[in-house]
Amino acid sequence: MNIHRPHRLRRLFALLFATALVAAACGSDGDSGATATSECGTDTSVAMGDSVTDLTFALVAPSAKDDLAFTQSMVDSLTRLGIEPQITDGTFIVEEAAAAIRGYAEEGVDVVIAHGTQYGGSLAEIAPDFPDTSFIWGTATDTQGLDNVFAYYPEADQGGYVNGWIAAEMTDGAAMGVVGPVEAGDAVAYVNGFIAGATANGAPAPSVVYTGSFSDVALATETAQAHVDNGAQVLTGTSQSTVGAVNVAAANDIPWFGTQSNQEAWSTDLVVASQVYHWDVVLDDMIESIEGGTLGGEAMAITLQNGGLVIEINGCYGLDDSVVDGAEGIIAEIIDGTIDPT
Amino acid sequence: MSDFFTLTVLVGTLASGIRTAMPYLLAALGETVGQRSGVLNLGVDGVMLLGAFGGYYTVLQTENHWLGVLVGLAIGLGMGLVYALVTIVFHAEQGISGIGIFLFGLGFSDLLFQELVGTPRPIKPLPKVEIPLLADIPHLGPAFFQHNLLTYVAFALVPLTTWMLMKTTFGMNVRAVGENPQAADSLGVSVAQTRMGAILFGNTMAGLAGAGLSLQLAIFQHNLTNGLGFIAVALVYFGAWRPRWVLAGALLYGMVTATRLRWQSLDIIPRGASDVAAMAPAIITILALVLLASRVRGPAALTKPFSRH
Amino acid sequence: MTTSTPLLELRGITKRFPGVLANDDVSFDVRTGEVHALLGENGAGKSTLMKILFGLYQADEGQIMLRGEEATITSPTSAIEQRVGMVHQHFMLVPTLTVVENVALGLHDARKLRPDLDAVGARIREISEEYGLEVDPDIDVWKLSVGERQRVEIIKALYRDAELLVLDEPTAVLTPQEVDDLFVILRQLTAAGTGIVFISHKLHEVLALSDRITVLRNGRVTGRTVPAETDRQQLAEMMVGREVDLAPDRPIVETGPVRLSVSGLHVTGDRGTPAVVDVDLDVRGGEILGIAGVSGNGQRELAEAIAGLRQLDRGSISIDGADTTGVTPGMARAAGLSYVPEERMKDGAVGEFDVAENLLLVDHGDSRFIRNGLFDRDQIETHAARLVEEYAVKTPTLHTPTSSLSGGNIQKLIMARELDSDPLVILAAQPTRGVDIGAAEYIHRRLVEQRGEGVAVLVISEDLDEVFALSDRIAVMFDGAVVKIFDRADATRESVGLAMTGVV
Repeated sequence: MNIHRPHRLRRLFALLFATALVAAACGSDGDSGATATSECGTDTSVAMGDSVTDLTFALVAPSAKDDLAFTQSMVDSLTRLGIEPQITDGTFIVEEAAAAIRGYAEEGVDVVIAHGTQYGGSLAEIAPDFPDTSFIWGTATDTQGLDNVFAYYPEADQGGYVNGWIAAEMTDGAAMGVVGPVEAGDAVAYVNGFIAGATANGAPAPSVVYTGSFSDVALATETAQAHVDNGAQVLTGTSQSTVGAVNVAAANDIPWFGTQSNQEAWSTDLVVASQVYHWDVVLDDMIESIEGGTLGGEAMAITLQNGGLVIEINGCYGLDDSVVDGAEGIIAEIIDGTIDPT
Repeated sequence: MSDFFTLTVLVGTLASGIRTAMPYLLAALGETVGQRSGVLNLGVDGVMLLGAFGGYYTVLQTENHWLGVLVGLAIGLGMGLVYALVTIVFHAEQGISGIGIFLFGLGFSDLLFQELVGTPRPIKPLPKVEIPLLADIPHLGPAFFQHNLLTYVAFALVPLTTWMLMKTTFGMNVRAVGENPQAADSLGVSVAQTRMGAILFGNTMAGLAGAGLSLQLAIFQHNLTNGLGFIAVALVYFGAWRPRWVLAGALLYGMVTATRLRWQSLDIIPRGASDVAAMAPAIITILALVLLASRVRGPAALTKPFSRH
Repeated sequence: MTTSTPLLELRGITKRFPGVLANDDVSFDVRTGEVHALLGENGAGKSTLMKILFGLYQADEGQIMLRGEEATITSPTSAIEQRVGMVHQHFMLVPTLTVVENVALGLHDARKLRPDLDAVGARIREISEEYGLEVDPDIDVWKLSVGERQRVEIIKALYRDAELLVLDEPTAVLTPQEVDDLFVILRQLTAAGTGIVFISHKLHEVLALSDRITVLRNGRVTGRTVPAETDRQQLAEMMVGREVDLAPDRPIVETGPVRLSVSGLHVTGDRGTPAVVDVDLDVRGGEILGIAGVSGNGQRELAEAIAGLRQLDRGSISIDGADTTGVTPGMARAAGLSYVPEERMKDGAVGEFDVAENLLLVDHGDSRFIRNGLFDRDQIETHAARLVEEYAVKTPTLHTPTSSLSGGNIQKLIMARELDSDPLVILAAQPTRGVDIGAAEYIHRRLVEQRGEGVAVLVISEDLDEVFALSDRIAVMFDGAVVKIFDRADATRESVGLAMTGVV
């Protein structure tokens, strides 16, 4: 990858080399279906795929590219497409992100990915100045009427539903706790899906706390502790603030359900299942359009149907086969429309 | 509402409030001494972030918590030297210098984290220390006497800081240079040395507060403090520069935070009101302290650089 | 006179600041057991000289001799070590610390963990007893009166075994009673062998206290004398460098009708406590009523209430028969009031504005100065030039920023603006504080002139000399109330001074 901080290159090459080895050893080219149950002990990092395009890419993202959450989901997706973008990550300050976005556009990069809902305002100012550049922005459900902007979003309620359904199987009527950040965007979709899935499977409604912050680790941690004190037997949560909440789950031996990115790396026997965002599905379509001369104007969703959402079940957790089978049944019903997770 | 008044939940809330208050208290006590000497440090949050990363990374590498605490202290001390150099030796404007320290701490802790760690990997949390006998008291024990050592340290530092300010030669000098540096200078008290001492104490405490935060949460992440240091500075103002009021403020802030999270988790606060709930700790704490302590005047020479002519 | 070696001898001290020769070849000496007064106007170089002695400045030329040996004084600490003590005009005290802590500051190295406050307190009590410097060592300094704070300053110096004590304008903030107490203390100190430098511009105090007097003007010594061989008039002329008229002639004037009437006035101060309590005053045309009192006894609040700058709780105010109770400052002006405020740079003039602009401040809506909706520059300059000339305001140009003028000239500028509007009532608060004698003399003459024209003048002053020089009647304020009104003929410094402490 072409990274801004050159001295990081060595570490990255080492990482890529290691992943390549693992990938080669497994002889697996990855599951294209909507579920994947990992062999226990597999490396969950993503291998570089064959390049699908000659376009040049840049990525501007609010958190670290290996945050095991939102930003990493995009980096992994690009990796699967064999794309090596220039990356400016950690730009939680919107002005900095705006400067980076404009900078890449001025450099002549073909496609600039603005990976953060909060960048929308900046993009509305920048995109019209560079009509020959394509901007990809998410998560967002519309393109603000700009014809060189593509938008993307996950139908996160689908994976939330599946996670909730599995959680209900495991808890037998006990309480569950959800650590929510801000009541907005795909966080709400995931949480509502989780509630719907859990209650549909006979569980009492999970307790939900929105901390009011995407980034406050201490708050999310204390929220998880509150759920545990209330008797929660399962925890889930979304946003980068949940890193400490996962610790609480681990300390109390309580299973955790992840979303956005595969969070098994936390702890091998803690994460039951993760809803993983595979943006490559929509990115593929967008690249095709761009190469065909259409630089934007459409919002695309990743779903279980199009393979953009993948439920990755942790093989190390030792979930009963019957539950795995049940989950696959649920996924099939969501895909064919029998179940509406919203 | 009735759910909240079960003993388990009440005990859990008290314990959570105390845990939450710990880093605020450490940072605010340090800043209290700094401000009593006439130096405002808006860089507390940045120093905390550096201390938080240093402590976290040390524990990640060595699994030794006390080494982590030590590194947090050392980083605080080092940043204190930098801040003292900038504000005492070069007489730089304190507000701007502090913001500079904050931005440096924010950026540099993140850079180090990206370089050295990358993915947030959990560490072993600070172990709980149960105070013999007291910890076994039903309900009160789990609420008050089953915390990590730094929490006890933070609370013990409240009377110690008061003692230092009110009874020691250094504390007397600190109060004098914060109020009327010319008078102290005319009696041969070195304003520069005294402020330097207060800055070093304040920053060391900020470093400790940061390490305490990351070791308690057992994790580090970009901007882990999330503005905690700024709230600590505000607690010093609203706590009228008195350690006991600062303690009251930190505890109140922690308790309101813990309570609102629990009320949300028990649906006592409806989900639609979560934004309001998120603001509650700051609003309630500020209101309470304004009512209790607003009549006390701050150090007269606060933020004013000293020079003889 | 003794011939022994002087305790202190300053030889040919010269100190230059950019563009200013602050001290020019000044020689001065103090013997043990004497009070040597250093007399001069603001800016004469007294403070610079003493800052050199206290190690805050270094002399460019000259020598400091202590007990016959050349001394180097590089800092306040080294001054203290060489047993030179200073009581600054603005007290060097930490109000939030106790008396004993203030004295103990700097005695111990910070490496000594705890100061031995008990021992310090015991020694303070000894010193207190020895010299009659009564003060409670354990009280916070902010709770002390001004006189008590000054005693703490003296104790601080004596605690450090000062043999030479410099007092910079020590009486500026004291009541006459407190001044008497201070003089008793100082005489006890000299009797015990302490040498005292007494810096002042108050002539009668210098005459009453000193053994010798040295007068400074523009950085140079312009006179050396002893009280027995001089008088106020002569000292004033040494200070100013020309003949001065200390008390303007006040021709007999027929008083007219009551122009300013205040009755039953109650006003709340900044701290929310009563500041003015049930004050009744009538000032007639052709009369100057002086209000004496130590600052902080309600004078400022009274003035602001009359000028419409402060809300009143009860009572009424009228100007020339028109009720002006609770009106705006503009309405008070329209009724015929001119106001010369106490804080001249805060309330009287805008420092960044130039001279011409400040002269226009109250008349900016006047049609004389406006043409086609804009300021008429020519008219404004003509107006300003006339006032500057008429009131002898010394300014380089009409467009000099007002803040760069001297205190006396700023005050003249304000007087020019205020008197030019042909007022019926003039309210002047501390009209000559911090102003040199020449300007003060001029301002006094102008006020008396207005009295002659039938204007009612209310002068508020902490300077008893000023009150006595101007007033037809003297009202004394204490604790917010007018405790007594004297006719000029019946008033003595003693009786007024006593009333200022609340004793009637």
